[in-house]
Amino acid sequence: MKTANLLLYKIDKQRDLKWFLFYLVGIQFLLLWNELFLNKPAFALLKEAFLNSFIIGALVLVFAFFLSWGTVNLRLYLTNKFNGILLTIIDFIIDTIKSIPQIISVLLGYIFITLIITKETVKNETTIILLISVLLSIVIFPELYETMINRIKYFKKSDFYNSMLVCGINEYRIMNYDILYKNSVGFIIHKLVSLFGVALFLQCSIDFIISVGLSNDVSLSNFPATLGNLLAKMDSKQDILAIGKTISNPLYIIKLPFEHLQGLSTAFIIVFTLLCVFKISDGIIKRIGK
Amino acid sequence: MELSFNIEIKNDDRKIVKIEDYTITKNKITFLFGESGIGKSLISKSLFGLVDPEDLNVKINGIKYQEYLLNNPLSQEISNGFFVFQEPSTHLNPLIKLSDQLNEGDLLDSESYIEDLLALWKGNSAEEIKKILNIYPRPYRPSGGEKQRVLCLMAIKKMSILQKNQESENSFFVFDEPTGSLDNYYRNLFLAILFQKYTEINFTCTFITHDYSIISFINKNYKNLINKIEFKELYTFEDNLRIKKFTPEIYINWVKSIGVRLENVKQISNEKVLFFNSSFSIFNNTFKICKDANYLYEQNLVINSGDIVYLKAPSGEGKTTICKIIMGLIKAEKFLFSLGNLTFNENTSGSIYKEQVWGKKAVMVFQHADEALNQKSKVKDIFKGLKGYKPDAVKPMLLNLFDEKDITDSFLNKKVSVLSGGQKQKLNILRGLFLNTSLVILDEPVNGMDFESIKKVIDLIEKKRRQGAGILLISHNEEIFDNFVPEEKKYYLKK
Repeated sequence: MKTANLLLYKIDKQRDLKWFLFYLVGIQFLLLWNELFLNKPAFALLKEAFLNSFIIGALVLVFAFFLSWGTVNLRLYLTNKFNGILLTIIDFIIDTIKSIPQIISVLLGYIFITLIITKETVKNETTIILLISVLLSIVIFPELYETMINRIKYFKKSDFYNSMLVCGINEYRIMNYDILYKNSVGFIIHKLVSLFGVALFLQCSIDFIISVGLSNDVSLSNFPATLGNLLAKMDSKQDILAIGKTISNPLYIIKLPFEHLQGLSTAFIIVFTLLCVFKISDGIIKRIGK
Repeated sequence: MELSFNIEIKNDDRKIVKIEDYTITKNKITFLFGESGIGKSLISKSLFGLVDPEDLNVKINGIKYQEYLLNNPLSQEISNGFFVFQEPSTHLNPLIKLSDQLNEGDLLDSESYIEDLLALWKGNSAEEIKKILNIYPRPYRPSGGEKQRVLCLMAIKKMSILQKNQESENSFFVFDEPTGSLDNYYRNLFLAILFQKYTEINFTCTFITHDYSIISFINKNYKNLINKIEFKELYTFEDNLRIKKFTPEIYINWVKSIGVRLENVKQISNEKVLFFNSSFSIFNNTFKICKDANYLYEQNLVINSGDIVYLKAPSGEGKTTICKIIMGLIKAEKFLFSLGNLTFNENTSGSIYKEQVWGKKAVMVFQHADEALNQKSKVKDIFKGLKGYKPDAVKPMLLNLFDEKDITDSFLNKKVSVLSGGQKQKLNILRGLFLNTSLVILDEPVNGMDFESIKKVIDLIEKKRRQGAGILLISHNEEIFDNFVPEEKKYYLKK
């Protein structure tokens, strides 16, 4: 009993953990509800979309992490070995990616992926998911890269960096182990969690834009099911529009969770995930600040 | 009469301070020493009712803090007293003129401080003093010393008001590092005023400081008050705090004893470790190194193997800068020095420091251990990444500055961030001295340390010297190092 109380107390103190558990419970409840009341093919599609979106989000985090970390180390290597030009090229590339609105970059990338799909260079759904993940991670990794660089700059300003250098400690060790691992993991996790939200939001936004119909070649039917993709389907749109019906017929609200589950569940997962991601990352940053 | 307190302060579940026998002797001045971060300020603040119970879980004499404050045995003394905080910038209101802050609340009395004001700013004209008091702490930013004197003046003014109203009985004053930003001249002026007031109104006072040279100063100049003054030191014992009294003689005799160590010590060798040209330029300023305190005889700085050299200069005059130039951390506009067989000047490539100097020929121990160490590291990992590191070398190295009984598994697994300032400084020094370099630069090595630790550091420096390293010392703790280092090994730096 005492252990359970202590566990509850600790969970209550850690806002990020509290919201993560709340998220898991919320999603479990939703899936259970859908299992009971949503027709089987639609539920299977919802699960597939949910899984694909989360796999893309998770892959984006992995790729973005390695891209950022690799670039930080490459930058140090170039600073030590070469002067000027290569370093400037890296900075230029990153600044260019940052300067283009993320949604435009992703849209351009989707067009490219569609072209590959229509030319049948890529057929496999897993490869498409990988391509989408790589594309999203290229667009959003500069945010994580900046977090890492800012942490390094912060420590370089104090005696921390120099005092280790003059002891002969390897600069890569100082940067990777002492700064990024020992002193910045919280900041990096916070950034990754918020990037997960960004990745999900970008996926959904692009799917929606594409659903409007950009060209004959680029259409959602070419892509694997994702939450945005599912939300952009006509059935789901009608489910969302049904919410408006409750204004003229308030009692219709009772029917919503039974008759319009596909669209509402998809929208709920997206909004609930974004909310929880925000709360979790907020909790992490508060914990770091303590 | 002694008041005894059992104090326990926790942050969530983590114990910060626990002391069972903290004592305050009424109507005496207590100089409280102890390594930085050990809890001197926190204990004093908690007794003064200044800790926020929402932030920390405090129990005094077994009673919860809020209840204790309602029946505080010192409440009368506190309301008649004053607390001078360590950091003047946070004590003073940035948006109110200094002169107005000197007349706020209980201090509202326009005449009771003019005499003390003039005494505390002795050497400044009335016009100059007026100018200082007539400014806002921001954006005009008076110097740290000026702000600290204003704070001390507030306390002194409170004493004068009590004296004037004949309410001086039962008053309690706490000065938390009130002389940390003052040079010895102003420190001595302040002490003179404080002791003068004490002889007039006989208050209770806790004076927190790291400045051990105060002991010799008082012993020399205020012998008549010595029975009214107590010297106490906080120290850690089995994870708790304890307090002990000590006599000035213990410190004074030790300082005298370290003076004889380096006299008549044979030069270990004539191998030149460092040669630094007497003149160098940086940030558009030219500095010169001299052999005398009057800066008449310019001389190149030379350190041979087995030498301890003490480089002196007023605060902010470039002592740390020259060390950073030697270590290649700042590029001066014009300089020349040699480290063993390597010569360095403004044209030397930065990569040579990494390849041949850092951790190989020279090492520098930075003055702020809080910044220099990885606070998230465990104690046992502090030497990781150094040349020659082996896990089993950690404990023998720690034994140089820590007691064997303190080097437990729990201590080795502690994060650096939870250690006291003095313990961090010891680790900082040990990390530098772990390496086998021919030059060791020590920037303020005894900062924030208690007396026992200072003794151990001096022993360790001496041991390193005997092993043949050349040592360059920088410290504002002149009394100790003036005694330790022979006159011919002292250099003076001037802008």
